[in-house]
Amino acid sequence: MAVFISRRLIFLVFVMFGVSFIIFGLQMTFSPERRAMVFVTTPQQAKDIPVLIKKYGFDQPFYKQYFTWLKEVTSGHLGYSLVASDSVWRAFWRYFPITLELNIFSSPCIILFGIWLGTKAGQKANTFTDHFTRIFSIVGWSLPTFLFSLVMLMIFYGYFRLFPPSVLGDELTLLVYGNTGEFVRYTGMFTVDGILNGRLDVTFEALKHLVMPVLTQMVVICAILMRVMRSGMLEEMGKDYVITARAKGVDKKTTILKHARRNALIPVITVAGQLVAALMEGSIAVEIIFNRKGLGWWLAESAMQLDMPVLMSLCLFIAIVFVLANLTVDIIYAYVDPRIRLS
Amino acid sequence: MSALIEIKDLVTNFYTYEGVVKALNKISLEVESGLTFGLVGESGCGKSVLVRSIMRIVQSPGVIEGGEVKFHMKKNGKDEVIELLSLSEEEMRQIRGSEISMIFQEPNAALNPILSIGYQVSESFLFHISEQMCAKVLEDLESPRDNTNFIWKSFLRYAYRVGSKDAKALPLRIFNKIPILKCWDKRLKEEATRRSIEIIDKLHVPHPEQVVKSYPHNLSGGMKQRIVIAIALACNPELLIADEATSNLDVTVQAQILELLNELKKEYISSIMLITHDLGVVAETCERVGVMYAGNLCEVADVREIFKNPKHPYTKALLNSVPRFSTEGRLAVIDGFVPNLVNPPSGCRFHPRCPLTMEQCKQNVPDLKETGDRHLVACYAVD
Repeated sequence: MAVFISRRLIFLVFVMFGVSFIIFGLQMTFSPERRAMVFVTTPQQAKDIPVLIKKYGFDQPFYKQYFTWLKEVTSGHLGYSLVASDSVWRAFWRYFPITLELNIFSSPCIILFGIWLGTKAGQKANTFTDHFTRIFSIVGWSLPTFLFSLVMLMIFYGYFRLFPPSVLGDELTLLVYGNTGEFVRYTGMFTVDGILNGRLDVTFEALKHLVMPVLTQMVVICAILMRVMRSGMLEEMGKDYVITARAKGVDKKTTILKHARRNALIPVITVAGQLVAALMEGSIAVEIIFNRKGLGWWLAESAMQLDMPVLMSLCLFIAIVFVLANLTVDIIYAYVDPRIRLS
Repeated sequence: MSALIEIKDLVTNFYTYEGVVKALNKISLEVESGLTFGLVGESGCGKSVLVRSIMRIVQSPGVIEGGEVKFHMKKNGKDEVIELLSLSEEEMRQIRGSEISMIFQEPNAALNPILSIGYQVSESFLFHISEQMCAKVLEDLESPRDNTNFIWKSFLRYAYRVGSKDAKALPLRIFNKIPILKCWDKRLKEEATRRSIEIIDKLHVPHPEQVVKSYPHNLSGGMKQRIVIAIALACNPELLIADEATSNLDVTVQAQILELLNELKKEYISSIMLITHDLGVVAETCERVGVMYAGNLCEVADVREIFKNPKHPYTKALLNSVPRFSTEGRLAVIDGFVPNLVNPPSGCRFHPRCPLTMEQCKQNVPDLKETGDRHLVACYAVD
């Protein structure tokens, strides 16, 4: 087990190396002038472009630039983000908790609801429940996230004034980001910080702002999980061991939950792992529409402004998340399925 | 000899997209207790559907449409007749595994790949004789050698006292939902595992203590089939149905398993129903034989009678198509194909392939008729 995990972590270094190489290579397709333009904000500064190119070494060959970057990163300097007007490292810790908080609430909802719905649909194939969940999943899957979020926003905020967008209300935002020392941001996740600071109103407010993004992600992402679970369930319910179980007098509930569902869960674990990993990089549409400035928002904004240090660092982060997610999936696999040995 | 199972006009249909597959066409059959009954026929003739209908485990889209299955159960020395098709699902569940049990064709598929052997065998005990096992655990609890702490012990004593009366009593169902109290059934499970080890040991599986901890993929095909038999035998059933139990094993293992079944029949089970398409197996192990064709029963007779004096044209053809050392030349085959059961032939379903077809064969379905010496045939050409 320990050998398996450490081997995967060594593997991670190579993945990061490969990813950074490719992304760095891609940005080299831009001309040095285009890349220098990022630092130009007014027309007057345009004449500085050759100076900027020299200063940042944009005209040097690929390998030299890549090694310069590598040297900087390995010594801990990830660079400066123009979008966040802060160092990448510090900005990351500002945006990441926002995304993480949303995921901490939405991932369990997505996984549990998807599995539950899929099990229900699978065990009652071709009944009303099944048709209903299938329609629900097709609608959820084919609706564009941005459209669905807008509709949700319109209904629940526009008409009912129930669940507002953004992270916190105006008053509490001032309190939370203010430097009065009244509120300490321990984790950056306001639901948790509210409790730690003894300000339950902050927690409550943060939860209220989380309802709609979580709901949106649930409807949109549940669909695929539910479909995998449903087809798995259908397949397993037709297997011989289910008949064996019934023939020895096991009741229906145990047959479904203990025999069929545990087998059907195996492919679901893979899909769920990938989904959670994908959520970690922030879902751009949800973050932009609900005005939650998290990783997805930052990534989209940086990509539009060609903020290279941010893009490089986030790509490395995504690589880490995916390798770790796969590692977790493999460990859970070995726990669920005795046929799989970690070695 | 008294009857064990009486089947009358059993009809099972499968509702598929191509149409209704009439898998069982009013089958009537009587199996006597204490016998090994062989059911033969080619693939797809409805042998498996027949036995699955008896146990009511026909899988969707199959539906049992009509008929009756009377089962003579010996309870406390008394003979009790039960109509299986009219029982509720819960009552039927209690019959399955404890009175009638089944072993399957493919030992690799018949065991759940991700549950341990010990768990899969002990499930048979847990679902049928929980009360009995609770009483046993209660007895062990009272023994002075048991040194559990006082509070936990009195809790366990209460739980098992309730359990020995009714294993599904309300207090126990509540305990099952509460985190720490949930562990009350640990000893019950240990007891079930102990019994599993015992029954696995009886089936000549080496190292049963290790086998219960292993998973199906750790065992060989023959071992797995023994485990499947152990699951079926756990509660000493009246009738054991072996659905092609040896077809997928190699010949030496097949011989061992048949030997084992014979041995077990003497000790534990009263009757065996053996489904096979291998006439050699029938000749060796069965006492009475039923021949099926396309959802119908053609002929039922004692094993010697069937082999020496087959009466139905299908049985004759089937016996002729077995290769023998004494005959030379081409192997005899039955002309034509197995009929499609969505649109079966009218009248006797064998008539398109039968050498003795008469006019009435095309219109009417022949009934099973006694033709002397406990020999039943369904054919108009036999008299």
